[in-house]
Amino acid sequence: MKSISELTDFYYKELYPALSELEETRNKILSKLKWYGGMGGVVFLLIIIWLHKNFALFHPFMIGIASGFVLLSGIVYRSITSHYAQDFKVKIITPLISAIDTNLRYSPDAMISQYLFERSNLFQHSIDRYSGNDYVKGSIDGVPVEFSDVHAEYQTTNSKRGTEWHTLFRGLFLVAEFNKYFKSKTIILPDIAEKTFGNLIGGWLQSMNVSRDKVIQLDDPEFEKRFVVYGNDPIEARYILSHAMMQRLLEFQRKLSYPLCISFVQNHIHVAIATEKDLFEPTVLKSLLGYSQAMEYVNTLRNTIGIIEELKLNEKLWSKE
Amino acid sequence: MVPFFITLGVLTLITILMYNSLIGKKNQVDNIFAGVDTVLKKRFDLIPNLVASVERYMEHEKSILEKVTELRSSAMKPGMSNDQKVALDAKLTNALGSITIAMENYPDLKANENIMQLIRTLNEIEEQISAARRAYNQAVTDLNNAIEMFPTNIMAGWMQLQRKVLFEITVKERQNVNVQELFNHS
Repeated sequence: MKSISELTDFYYKELYPALSELEETRNKILSKLKWYGGMGGVVFLLIIIWLHKNFALFHPFMIGIASGFVLLSGIVYRSITSHYAQDFKVKIITPLISAIDTNLRYSPDAMISQYLFERSNLFQHSIDRYSGNDYVKGSIDGVPVEFSDVHAEYQTTNSKRGTEWHTLFRGLFLVAEFNKYFKSKTIILPDIAEKTFGNLIGGWLQSMNVSRDKVIQLDDPEFEKRFVVYGNDPIEARYILSHAMMQRLLEFQRKLSYPLCISFVQNHIHVAIATEKDLFEPTVLKSLLGYSQAMEYVNTLRNTIGIIEELKLNEKLWSKE
Repeated sequence: MVPFFITLGVLTLITILMYNSLIGKKNQVDNIFAGVDTVLKKRFDLIPNLVASVERYMEHEKSILEKVTELRSSAMKPGMSNDQKVALDAKLTNALGSITIAMENYPDLKANENIMQLIRTLNEIEEQISAARRAYNQAVTDLNNAIEMFPTNIMAGWMQLQRKVLFEITVKERQNVNVQELFNHS
C-alpha cells in the first residue's frame, strides 16, 4: 500500500491533467453562480420592495416568499454543481483509490448494505431512512473490506411538531474480516458515562444498561477510561481484545477527532466513525489544486484503508485461513 | 412500630441483595474457570502431537520435551483443585515458551509446514488461554473485593467464602505474540 507522500505525489503528478480540467469547470461554475446569485438577489429585492407596499416585512406571506427563494437557490446550486461533483469522483477519486490498492473498486452512488450496518449492533434504534454513497469494496493484503458514507435516520411523531427526523449515525462505516475466529458479540463504545459521572456512578450506570449485554471490565486502565465494552462472552471478548489490540485501538482513536465505535460480530470487525459529513464531496468554493484540500482527500482515503494495517488485521498468525 | 418494620424490611432487602451478589460473583468465577479448563484441555490435546513432531529435530532439547509431557500428564490427573491447575498451567506455559524459543535454532523444523501449522494452532490456543486467564482474574478480583470490602465481607464470612488465587500474567504475555518474527528468522 502506498504512503501518504507517494499518494500526494500521485495526486499532483498523475492526476494533474484531470485536475486542471476540473479547475477550469470550477471557475466557470463559480462565475455562473456569481451571475445567478447577483441576478437572483436583485430580483428578490425588487419583489420584496414591491410587496412591501401591501405587506409588513415579517408578514407570513413575506417569510414564505423568502423561504421559497432560499429553496430555489438550493436547487439551482445543486443542479449547477452536481455534474462537477460527479466528475470529481470519476476523474480524481476513482484513480486515487486504484493507486492505493488495485484490488479496490469504487462506486460513487452505492453504499454499504443496511444489513451490515444493522448487524454491527452498534446502534440499537430502528432505522427509518438509510442512505449513503462513496462505496469502496475489495481486499487489502488479502483482507476483504468494504466501506462507505452512511446516513441512518429515524423519525418521531409529535402532536405539536408533527414528524421529525433524527440522525442516528452519519459518517464513515467500514466492515472488514477479522483474523481470529469468534462466535460472540463484542461492542466497544466511547465511554461517555464514566467521563461525565466518574468511575463509580458512571460504571454503575453502564451496568444498568439493560438493552446491552454485560459490561466487560478490561485490564487496560487507559482503554477502560476511553471505552466501554459490552459482550456476551467475557473470554472471547478478551481473546479479541488482546493487550496489543487495545493499544492499537487507543492509538487509532487518538489520531481521530471523531467518536469511534467498534463491534466484533460474526468474525467481522465493524467500525463506525461519526464524522457528521460526507467523505468526498468537493466544494466549488475551494480549488482542488490547493494543498490542504488535496491532503484532506488523500488523508481520508489513506487513513480509512490504513485501518487494516493499523489494527494488523492482515497478520495471518492464526490457524484461520 | 411502622419505622421498625420499614428498617427491618430495608435490612432484609440489603441482606438478600448482598447474598445474591456474592453468589453471583462466586458462580461467575466457577463459570469462567470452566472456560479456562476447556482451552487448557485443547492445549493438552495438542501437546502429544507437537512433541512427537518436533522430537526428531530437537535432539538437544529432549529434557524440555520430557518436562512438557510430564507436566501434561500430571495436569490431566483427575481431582485437581483449581489452585493446583493454576500453578501447573504457569509451569506448562513456561516450558512451551522455551520450546518455541529453542525452535529458532532449527531451520529444518521451520521449513516443515505441518509443524508450523501446529505452532500456529498452539499460538492461537495460547492466546485463548491468555484471554481466559484474564477473564478469570477479573471474576476472581470481583469476588475477592467483595469478600474483603465492607459490608459484604461480613456476609462473606458467614457464607465461608474463601479468597481465590489469580493466574499470574507474565510480562511476555502482555506483549503481542509475534509468530511473524519467527518466520522471518528462517
